[in-house]
Amino acid sequence: MSMLYFLLLPLIVVCIAPLLTPKKATYLSSLAFIVPFFSILYSLLFKSEPFVIPLMTFSPPIGEIYLNFDFISHAFGLTICLVSAMVALFALPYMKHRFEEMERNVESEFRKYIFLYDLYAASMLWLVYSGNLILLYVFLEITLITAFLLIYSYGYGNRRWVGLLYLIWCAVAGVLTLAGFIIIAFDNNTLALDALKNVGMLAWAFIFVGMLIELPVLGPHVWLPWAHAEAPTPVSALLSPLTVGLAGYVLLRIYLVDPIFIDTYRIPILAYAIFSSIYAGFSVFKQTDFKRLLAYSTVSQMGYMLVALCLGPFGLIGLVIQYMSHAFGKSILFSSAGGIIAVHHGLRDINKMGGLHDSIPTISNAAVFGFLNLGGVLTVGMLGEFFILRGVIDTFGVTTRSLPIILAVIFMFILSVWYGFYTIRKVFYGKPKDTKRLEISRYFYVPLFIIGILSVLLLFPPLSTALIQGLNAMPGLGLGGVMP
Amino acid sequence: MNEWVFLLLLLAPVVSSIPIALAYKSKEWTEKLPYLSVLGIFVSVLMSLHIFFALEEGPYPYDWIPELGINFVFMVDYLSSYMGVITAVIAFFIAIYGLDYMKGDYRPSWYWFFFNLFTASMLLVVYSDNLLLLFIGWEGLGAASWGLIGHWFRDDDEIAYVGKTGRKVGPLELSWPPSFGGWRAISTIRFGDVPMFFAIAAIWVFAGNLNISEIEWGTLFATIGAAGTVILLLCLLMGLFTKSAQVPFSEWLMTAMTGPTTVSALLHSATMVAAGAFVFIKITWYIEPWTLHGVPGLESVYILVLFVGLISGLYGALAGSGMHERKVLLAATTMSSIGLMFAAAAASFWVGHFAVLVAFWYMAVHAFAKASLFLVSGHLIHATHSRFLCGGLEFGKKMKPAFIVTIIATTFLVGMPPLTAYWVKSGMDEVMEHLIHDLGIVPLVLLILTSLVYSGLLAKFLSLNFIKGEKPHHEHVEGGGLMKLGYVMMVSVLFLLAYLIFTSEETAEFIHAGMAEVSIIVGILILLAYVVGLVKPRIAALSRLGTFFSDRMYLPFVNDYILPKTGFFVSHIVNEYGNRGIDGFFNTKVMPGLFGGISKGIRRIQVGGLTAYVKIVLGLVMIFLIIASIGGMGL
Repeated sequence: MSMLYFLLLPLIVVCIAPLLTPKKATYLSSLAFIVPFFSILYSLLFKSEPFVIPLMTFSPPIGEIYLNFDFISHAFGLTICLVSAMVALFALPYMKHRFEEMERNVESEFRKYIFLYDLYAASMLWLVYSGNLILLYVFLEITLITAFLLIYSYGYGNRRWVGLLYLIWCAVAGVLTLAGFIIIAFDNNTLALDALKNVGMLAWAFIFVGMLIELPVLGPHVWLPWAHAEAPTPVSALLSPLTVGLAGYVLLRIYLVDPIFIDTYRIPILAYAIFSSIYAGFSVFKQTDFKRLLAYSTVSQMGYMLVALCLGPFGLIGLVIQYMSHAFGKSILFSSAGGIIAVHHGLRDINKMGGLHDSIPTISNAAVFGFLNLGGVLTVGMLGEFFILRGVIDTFGVTTRSLPIILAVIFMFILSVWYGFYTIRKVFYGKPKDTKRLEISRYFYVPLFIIGILSVLLLFPPLSTALIQGLNAMPGLGLGGVMP
Repeated sequence: MNEWVFLLLLLAPVVSSIPIALAYKSKEWTEKLPYLSVLGIFVSVLMSLHIFFALEEGPYPYDWIPELGINFVFMVDYLSSYMGVITAVIAFFIAIYGLDYMKGDYRPSWYWFFFNLFTASMLLVVYSDNLLLLFIGWEGLGAASWGLIGHWFRDDDEIAYVGKTGRKVGPLELSWPPSFGGWRAISTIRFGDVPMFFAIAAIWVFAGNLNISEIEWGTLFATIGAAGTVILLLCLLMGLFTKSAQVPFSEWLMTAMTGPTTVSALLHSATMVAAGAFVFIKITWYIEPWTLHGVPGLESVYILVLFVGLISGLYGALAGSGMHERKVLLAATTMSSIGLMFAAAAASFWVGHFAVLVAFWYMAVHAFAKASLFLVSGHLIHATHSRFLCGGLEFGKKMKPAFIVTIIATTFLVGMPPLTAYWVKSGMDEVMEHLIHDLGIVPLVLLILTSLVYSGLLAKFLSLNFIKGEKPHHEHVEGGGLMKLGYVMMVSVLFLLAYLIFTSEETAEFIHAGMAEVSIIVGILILLAYVVGLVKPRIAALSRLGTFFSDRMYLPFVNDYILPKTGFFVSHIVNEYGNRGIDGFFNTKVMPGLFGGISKGIRRIQVGGLTAYVKIVLGLVMIFLIIASIGGMGL
């Protein structure tokens, strides 16, 4: 039961934080996610058995509503807590700066902002622990609306238009998913995850298309660069690392109930996912806006998740770790982009950057951590790539016939490091325009290093041992799964 | 108890460099803390010696994710116990040298952190038996080399560039700044690392084991068949070839000379470039390909490695022969030497265990000699403020220790009888001679050609730096005590190695090979080539050929022109047409336009003007009448 209280903590803080001054509210919000973070860490390390906490029971076709504490949820929850807590700290000086820039009253705007921020992050946390699809859907919609309001009120550029664009795309995604859930409800007479038996092709198709828009992949991806680039940076730093990846989480949950859709269309989906990822990877090179560049990189990384979904039990472990690794990396990167914006007076154009390492070495070094995470070099992402590669071999073998898929996946991984270090060089290295080191607020880099260091520690025991063992013991994942 | 040995070995360098990384702001502390970092490496030296002398051979496993066969397994065997000591000692000498060399640098924290990470990563590669663990060290090498090659990220000092600034060949400027060198290194290496990672995953699936010493290689190859064997080994080799800068992945090594010289010295001797060859030697040691002649596909892979190695050897030596930049010249020779190591190790398929031993000992001799030469050139660059070959006899007399060390290192390395490398090179001659039965005379010819050019090349290095070079524009010969100490210690190990070759049991065959007729003839030829290089370091008649060689036979065009142009073309298409098109369709033009149009049309009905309504009604009536009349005719 104690886990329930830890999860309630962020929800309580949603109500309290707006009453406080910005600094106190920030600390409280951060704490509200740090505490569950440690409790999740504790249950990862010392409690190996998954468990559930029932909340209430509705009549069919809704069924039992409960909270689901297994290792998949823990992995996602851990990530959400850490990133939300750290970005909350980062946001303190950033949002103040933003409100001043918008010529608004800092105190009163901060109250509105922190309310939305906390609600946004808390609903994501609850989403991954939801044991009932309807509960999951409710939290999905809350994240959508809070993120929309944040973009609409505090975004950059054409923020109202971008906000609406985001709302429309994700509403379409939400409605399609809901339609899928309703079909599931009538097929199974329940929406409780543990009681679901099968997911029909039609329901799968609705959910799949909805989640592809949310993820997003090539085609619907066009909303993402707008939303992620024009959102206030702390929101980008949740939206891109945490929210979009949750589409992968939903697909994973549905897959674990009934993999029929993916099994039937494995090759076309895989081909599409790889193409989408490589396509977005190439798009990165031509971006001139730093935040837009990162947004395209998100599309590329989300392609990894869809690839992983098609690759059997070990691919699924890869999916979970890929989510974590991308979340860590991208939250660091968006925050460093935000740091540059705050310190260098709204600088976002990469062509005007170069040599920034001299003025902001700490932010530059944090960004290295970020790109190492995306590329899966020396961070937990390495394990993610390893499991995805294993999934490729399990599913297709090593023969001349499987060679095109193997090479495509390999190239997809290579591309991330290429654009990552290309960007680092373009933004931070080269001839500096100004060699004076700027004094910047610690909030701009200490949280990023905490995320970065944790992403490295997660590669090594005892964290990786606990995490992988737990995931591996889940039915359907790793050795617990049946080879396709 | 032994876990502490390995923990200290690997963590001491990293942990000891964290304080300096944190104290980046304080000038006072960053001047003192490098000593702590060097101390960390010294701990590694002690541990590696402890492993060498006190630990029994065999695996030392510790749990990580035991269910999946992913564990910390360290292997103490002939190769790793020697290589560990070599790596740690070389890193330690270079670190001492670096205390002087890097004094007053603009970011010491960065340098020392990555330098120590580099050392620790290589030690991890050397000792780990588990392939995933090895790969972590491997990636550590990649990341650290990126950090160190691009150390002088400001690109503002011409002395850190590679190539003459402003020199253009066709559309391409043959000059590269440090930040580019770093990016080039990691992008090339990553190109091979992911395939290698794939190969490791494949081994994991099919062999059910990740420990190099425990894998049943024969069974593994039988399971996956000829095509699978070739794909798997080629993927693995991609990682080794890119890391070791073999043809055609050699460009990054040349532009890597933008890093501080200490980094070049470490990169070229005992880490990074050597890591590729070392892993190949290590894996071959356990695959024992000479016992697997029945496995389909294996022979073709070993033939490939043999010829990639030999061709890289010749290419590197030839490319170096025209060069005038001290470090780039040495880089080319390294590429050449590493090629020979690959070739010798690959020859073991036909020759057996002895060939692997030759490759390994050549690596050891090369490591110390090359590190000494790099350290000397670093000192020369400081002393002359020039990265190009220069310095006459007068200058040489002022730099006596450097002069003497260069003489020793070059003569000991080229294979001149009866100095250290001669015995190992003789072993290599013998190995290639063996191959005449299976593969004809080509390998032996390539080896001899490479050796000759290589010998002349290093003689040229000596000559143009100390004897016949131009007078430097700038001379600063005082000081540098720790630098001198560094390279003198480094070069003195070559004598120790000679002693070991003569006394150790495993290398008795080298002495035997050194007495053979072929070896003596080759040795004398090498001596002649050396003398020619020394007396005539510049041959005017060949200057055009030299320029062609020193432009690396225009290989930069592949790396700097064709590949990026293609990549950016794809990016351009994708972004300008793909993204714009889809964006225009959904977000900005077509869909919003469609909605706007429909909405406008519907709203126009509601304007309230009577004529509009009458027109609509009349129009509808007309349409109804037409439909009715057509329908009526049908009836």
